[in-house]
Amino acid sequence: MAQSLTHGATALPADWRDLFALTKPRVMSLVVFTALCGLLAAPGEVHPVLAFASILAIALGAGASGALNQWYEAGLDAKMKRTAGRPLPAGRLDPQTALQFGVGLAAFSLFLMLFASNWQATLLLFVSILFYVFVYTMWLKPRTPQNIVIGGAAGAFPPLIGWVAATGSVAPLPILLFLLIFLWTPPHFWALALFVRSDYAAAGIPMMPVVAGETSTRRQILFYAVIMAAGAIAPWPLGYTGALYGWTAVILSAVFVALSVQVGMRTTREGDMMRPEKRLFAFSIAYLFILFGAVVADHWWPL
Amino acid sequence: MTDLEKPDAPEPFDEAEYRRRQRSRANLMGVLLIALAVLFFAITIAKMQIFQ
Repeated sequence: MAQSLTHGATALPADWRDLFALTKPRVMSLVVFTALCGLLAAPGEVHPVLAFASILAIALGAGASGALNQWYEAGLDAKMKRTAGRPLPAGRLDPQTALQFGVGLAAFSLFLMLFASNWQATLLLFVSILFYVFVYTMWLKPRTPQNIVIGGAAGAFPPLIGWVAATGSVAPLPILLFLLIFLWTPPHFWALALFVRSDYAAAGIPMMPVVAGETSTRRQILFYAVIMAAGAIAPWPLGYTGALYGWTAVILSAVFVALSVQVGMRTTREGDMMRPEKRLFAFSIAYLFILFGAVVADHWWPL
Repeated sequence: MTDLEKPDAPEPFDEAEYRRRQRSRANLMGVLLIALAVLFFAITIAKMQIFQ
């Protein structure tokens, strides 16, 4: 039985809420949504039960990645205000339980995916978990300010997996959706890194604002936002989506770039509330949700 | 300062909390196992329908 917090000779069982928190539920919601959109935008029909099981497998895989990430980064999390309250740094859960939970959940997610859909989607899910844990968490994050640029690929897998779960093959549209999340990740995370910069510095994580400085980070946010906007609109002129998605992408990307210009062209002042950065961070989440919703809407109700 | 007041002293064992967590985990495991059985049954039926 998984245990935590030794009290003398007896140990308390881990509370299920702490195990749930280990899966990073808020991150999982975006993963589930983009995966669902990938699955729903795919051609052909998927049995609802198999679709549900596939999305559940992706959600559990993402949860397992989050748990293994928190297990590995417990020491770093303890140094940051934003993460010090998580179950491991707060001491509500012991590391061995977290590791067993993460590995067990990962194994189960792969088994469920294989049972409900196909080996191609299972392989992609397996690669995404390995990529997030070994390439991003263990290798890139503590070493390079490019961590989230390359590591962004891990978060870009869900729509691709959803599509492959439905069709058994890869197509240009899910690759473009993969690319969209990949390019969206740097401005999204660097906007966050700008207003929690001191946290990352305290933990010794080489995020872009800590290593390259604020000005460089702001310029790079703007640079990636422009490329991302081009990537977001691309499926329309390439003929993979219709006008409904196209116009949604044009309007939302224009707002995204405008907010990035505000962030890119300013400098932090004394007592700065970092409102433009917080606004960009919040909008970037809504941006991805609405854009992926538009992909599905465009597929089901083309203009 | 008594032993219990020292910062590194072990917390007193709370048996009521132990039982509460044990019960809540047992209930959760029960619900999850039933949900899994239902899900696997439903997946099997769905696959049979597809192959027919």
